[in-house]
Amino acid sequence: MNENGFTQFSTVTVLLLLAAFYGGTYLLTLLIRKDKEDTSGFMVAGHQVGFGMGAASMTATWIWAASFYAAATSGYTYGVSGPIHYGFWGALMILFIYPFGRRFRELAPNGHTLGELIHARHGASSQLILAGSNVLGSVISLMVNFTAAGALVSVLSPLSFETGVLVAGVGVLSYTLTSGFRASVFTDFAQLVALMAIAVVIIPAVLFSAGGPSVMVEGLSRMTDEQASLFSVDAIMNQGAPFFVAVLAYAIGNQTISQRLFAVREKNIKSTFVTATLGYGAIVIGLGMIGLMALSVGVEPINGEMNNLIPQMVSTYLSPFFVALFFVLVIGSLSSTADSDLSALSTIMMADVYGKNIAGDNPNPKVMMMIGRITMIVATVAGLIFASFSLDILVMLVFVGALWGAIVFPVIVSCYWDRVTNAAFTWSVVVAMAFFCIARFELVEMTGLTVLLFEILASAGGAVVIGMMVFGFFGRAAGLVAGVVTLIVMLVFATGFLRDYMVLVASLTAYGASALVCTVMTLLSKEERFDFDLIEKRVGSYDDVEADEAVDMIPEGAK
Amino acid sequence: MTNELVYGAYILVWPALTLGVLAVICGAVVRDARACRKSDEDLI
Repeated sequence: MNENGFTQFSTVTVLLLLAAFYGGTYLLTLLIRKDKEDTSGFMVAGHQVGFGMGAASMTATWIWAASFYAAATSGYTYGVSGPIHYGFWGALMILFIYPFGRRFRELAPNGHTLGELIHARHGASSQLILAGSNVLGSVISLMVNFTAAGALVSVLSPLSFETGVLVAGVGVLSYTLTSGFRASVFTDFAQLVALMAIAVVIIPAVLFSAGGPSVMVEGLSRMTDEQASLFSVDAIMNQGAPFFVAVLAYAIGNQTISQRLFAVREKNIKSTFVTATLGYGAIVIGLGMIGLMALSVGVEPINGEMNNLIPQMVSTYLSPFFVALFFVLVIGSLSSTADSDLSALSTIMMADVYGKNIAGDNPNPKVMMMIGRITMIVATVAGLIFASFSLDILVMLVFVGALWGAIVFPVIVSCYWDRVTNAAFTWSVVVAMAFFCIARFELVEMTGLTVLLFEILASAGGAVVIGMMVFGFFGRAAGLVAGVVTLIVMLVFATGFLRDYMVLVASLTAYGASALVCTVMTLLSKEERFDFDLIEKRVGSYDDVEADEAVDMIPEGAK
Repeated sequence: MTNELVYGAYILVWPALTLGVLAVICGAVVRDARACRKSDEDLI
């Protein structure tokens, strides 16, 4: 133990653990390495990922280091219901996207990114909005994961924060660079097996070492009424509701998810995403329970830093062997997400930027592969630099989250409604972002009719969120009914009340404003209706271009 | 005693569920690997 109460490993021990993890992962990728990778394999594993690998990869990708820490923080802050209000809504992000994912695959069976589909549907401006938001999200994610590695290494060993960041960056890049997405999925499986096995052992171990359920029950008396309740309004409004609002936005805005929607065999999409939902929820809520246990036994986070809770509990109650397991768990979770971000970024640059906007009529698969690998290197270096600066990413996260919220309605409705235009898509996002900024940063005085207007827009946003979710599973009529009912309920009960939660109002406003502008502009448009069959013709495989030199055989999407 | 059981179950149900999902995923990968070996295809 060091003076802060953490188990302290020697430099050699930590370097050996890191070498075993990254060395082992690298050796695994040698099993699947091909002499000549093709673009389809590098970007989406040839659209042939099976159920088991797909579910493992989706789960591992969606669990990042922050998942554990934030779930534990939620358990510590909000008590009994806290871990659920983090893990449950995060899990639903995976579940609610799969009905739309099946539609994406139906429209673009040979697609690699959602941006390609939107390019085929609308053109460059809409596509680049989507691709840009994907790039921002993945770079932030890379930075956060490398930062988590640096923090963990510096807390549990004499090594510096920068050393941890550097080892994680180089380690992840080394095993992802050659085979791209195939390597990411294959190593995700191994990493998830380790991660799940460790979680299964650590959660009961901490519970019983801390005194077992009886001590936890005694700890209920230390909690406030809100913390002791499974139906805490405090937890719902401050943790659950903002997450609920983000359910569709994070799924649509994240290329790591859409990449897997395009990679899993079409018949396995539902089983893959339902299993990943259960896996994510179980692991994250389970580890979040360690935060609840800390609250129950009266542990105070060291230096008031909530991210110390889990390492502190593991160090306090378990032997160094378990702390080493925990170390592997965190490194595995952050690495699986980081390699997925590298694959996502390389695919966006290969397909969305080069394939659709630079190559013109003649995309060259060899150039695409080179662009993909250079992107991985540049992204890793950028992630390392940003992580080393320990930047405050809150503002960036706020903007990216809002952008994702603003694109949910235009993206989804563009895949079902043949009248939506490129202008409607683009302007809806621009206007929504403007309204979001006004509400989020209160650029005008939020009183009287002004705040009422934003509450009405936020109510429309709530209706969009609920309506879209119901629409995904039960179809248009049910979605419309759910949306209208939600709108009425929110207009009655939320106006005059939501203004106390301006962050929530701003997020919902992004949904509501984009939906209104997109719908009105579409209805006013006199453009010809879109033929959805064109998308399949326009989104093709880039490898076919090289295989067949006849110009008239080039897929339209590659032209 | 009842409270202890309920509270213990509330915490331990998550690792149990994790174990179940782990078994399902491993089983599926083993089946896929066998099928790929039979048809001489790559697993990934």
